[in-house]
Amino acid sequence: MNKITEVVPFLAPVQILILSVIVIPSFYVVWLSLHASSFGQSATFVGLQNYIKVLTDPAFLLALGNTVLIVIFAVHLELALGLGMALLFASGLPCRRVLLVAVLAPYAVSEVIAVAMWRFLFDPDVGPVTAMLTWLGLPMLDWSFEPSHALIMIGLLTIWLHLPFTFIILYAARLAIPKDLYEAARIDGAKPFDAFRRVTIPLLGPAIVVALLFRYIFAFRIFSEVWLMTQGGPARSTEVVAVYLYQEAFSFNAFGTAAATAWIMVLASLLLATGYVFLLRKQVAGNAH
Amino acid sequence: MRTDKLAIGLGKTVAVAVILVWSLFPIAFLVLSSFKPGQDIFAVPPKLVFSPTVQHYVELWNGWGVFFSGLLNSTIITAGATIIAITTSTAAGYVYSRYSSRMLDASVMFLIIVRLIPPIVVTLPLFPIINAIGLNDTHIVLMVLYATFFVSLGTVLMRTFIDQIPRELDEAAQIDGAKRLTILRRVIVPLAAPGILAVAVFVVVFAWNEFLFAFIFTATKAKTAPLVISEMIGSIDGVDWGVLFAASTVQLIPVLLFVIFMNRYLVAGLTAGATKG
Repeated sequence: MNKITEVVPFLAPVQILILSVIVIPSFYVVWLSLHASSFGQSATFVGLQNYIKVLTDPAFLLALGNTVLIVIFAVHLELALGLGMALLFASGLPCRRVLLVAVLAPYAVSEVIAVAMWRFLFDPDVGPVTAMLTWLGLPMLDWSFEPSHALIMIGLLTIWLHLPFTFIILYAARLAIPKDLYEAARIDGAKPFDAFRRVTIPLLGPAIVVALLFRYIFAFRIFSEVWLMTQGGPARSTEVVAVYLYQEAFSFNAFGTAAATAWIMVLASLLLATGYVFLLRKQVAGNAH
Repeated sequence: MRTDKLAIGLGKTVAVAVILVWSLFPIAFLVLSSFKPGQDIFAVPPKLVFSPTVQHYVELWNGWGVFFSGLLNSTIITAGATIIAITTSTAAGYVYSRYSSRMLDASVMFLIIVRLIPPIVVTLPLFPIINAIGLNDTHIVLMVLYATFFVSLGTVLMRTFIDQIPRELDEAAQIDGAKRLTILRRVIVPLAAPGILAVAVFVVVFAWNEFLFAFIFTATKAKTAPLVISEMIGSIDGVDWGVLFAASTVQLIPVLLFVIFMNRYLVAGLTAGATKG
């Protein structure tokens, strides 16, 4: 295996970065999660106590509930919008490239600036969107006081920031479907809706699964939008799992429970990923028959 | 039939208009408002015609020197992270594209799995370590963190792009006696430029905009522009919206232009990244 030793210098930088910054620290987090520790104290082994403490903490359960709500609400709405847009773009639009760039624009916007924009647009007193909602006779989003309104704001903001990603994945997959298939469906007398159901949806299946998987995993770790919008308040009512973790570690110095929370996050991501990879395999196998 | 077409055309026009307003209105509103004089910012309905002023930019320049050092820090950190990510992932992507063995395949799987670990997880152990070795609040910490969270995607992307370069080219260079590093630099890098640019777009946008790591690992000396803007939002004396809009515009415009000019590479990178791992 002369070759392998020759290529090691090319692989080493990437592997060393990942091992030293991500993998080894993550395993150290496992150790932390099994001990009670905080700054300047020596750690004592406590077994799974930290996990039990986290999983029975009402604040964690609320944070988990909020995270799941945001993930379910935001990711699925985002998928529906992205799919609609991908089909609209694929149906033929003038100046498609310019429109595509316009749709991509939010990708360039930092979470910090997006929060600044949305806080102003939805400001209860001076926000233009609030004014418009009131003018239309609709209720305004009282996001600084009403936790459910704050979660809706955060969900909308997350969709705004990540729609470009979901749209591009689905649009690229839609463009990869051969035109002949639609031609054949038309000749067989299929109506546009039948073609959509029998051609578009099955062939987009894998791309939809991939987009969902990525967005579930990334939406589950949401931190900045929530922290900058509400800091988890009022009274910890809008916390998400990552904000709970941050509070445990950096506000309450409880590194043990923070580490347990961290591993719960990692395991949830792994579970989502394996679940979807499994579904994807089954789907691909199903299509082959 | 004609009315059908008309209705479809009308529906499409409305849909496109809604999409454009959704995507661009918040950005346009922010940029325009940064040039609105004092009370015009709060006018309802929002004023589209106003006499533009740079007063907020002057206030920003005079009152928020820390924002401009933040921009400088962001520039240094973004440049450093991009260089680290590009060089390391190109080298690794080259090997993964040209060689295959069970160990190599396993390590690609490993790269993909690593992406499942949320960044906030590693802040717990890294925070005390970085403090202990005195690297807290330095550029290098953020450079390495930002680069590391993109090298796994970067490597997989580079492998996909390098796979499209015919092997005959590097084999010919090998027969001519070129060393592997020379082949990488002279043959692969020029031909894999679109892939390198795709990786660069990801890292530049991420490093320029990132909040969480900057919030945890910097305090004063290495504070980035997004962090300074977040302090403007959280200001206890009430938000000075004019200055906040001006600062946001200054932070946003360069990266927005970058994404617009590089949109082809961004689209290629997103598609390859999602389908290949």
